[in-house]
Amino acid sequence: MADTHDTDDRMPSQDVTAWIDTFKRETAEHAVFVYAKGEKNLAMCGFSARVMQIFDRMGVDYEVRNVLTDPIIRQALSSWTSWPTIPQVFVGGKFVGGCDIVSEMYQNGELQQLIQGVGSHPTT
Amino acid sequence: MEPVTSEQIRRRIEEALPGAEARVAAFHGSDHFEAMVVAPQFRGLSRIDQHRLVYAALEGWIGGPVHALALKTAPPEAGS
Repeated sequence: MADTHDTDDRMPSQDVTAWIDTFKRETAEHAVFVYAKGEKNLAMCGFSARVMQIFDRMGVDYEVRNVLTDPIIRQALSSWTSWPTIPQVFVGGKFVGGCDIVSEMYQNGELQQLIQGVGSHPTT
Repeated sequence: MEPVTSEQIRRRIEEALPGAEARVAAFHGSDHFEAMVVAPQFRGLSRIDQHRLVYAALEGWIGGPVHALALKTAPPEAGS
């Protein structure tokens, strides 16, 4: 399916379906992808800051999309993941959870394992 | 938006998940909460799905009167 949404994913006029296509693409393209309130290194919420700090501390490369740039992003994201809160973290294209789950997985070593697994076995 | 209390949140979780035990407290004022929920319904579920059950119980409140909910979930320990 080729359409104009492939190139204009920053346009605020995208509808929910187009946003979900964008989410699918960007979470598949990056080993670690974070939907956050705020930009990378400039979180606007303590919970978003926390997950970014975790990946910074791990030295993991990650990409961030700021859900505050357009209310429809958050609406589309939550309808896609059935998850009402932000941040939302994806590893290897799979939804991992929010701040609590990611913090817990970081503390017990699961997160490191998960990311290493994705790094050594690319899914694409 | 009507504020809600820790007690209302606890009751809604325990009503939606019979047999569950929830401990809920407010922090940072009145719209940030933390909850620890132990529920038999969590057995065999991933952590994501355990959290989803709690969010479902609080539908309409999250993002409204419940601005943030720090959540810990677990099934009851075997034998308890």
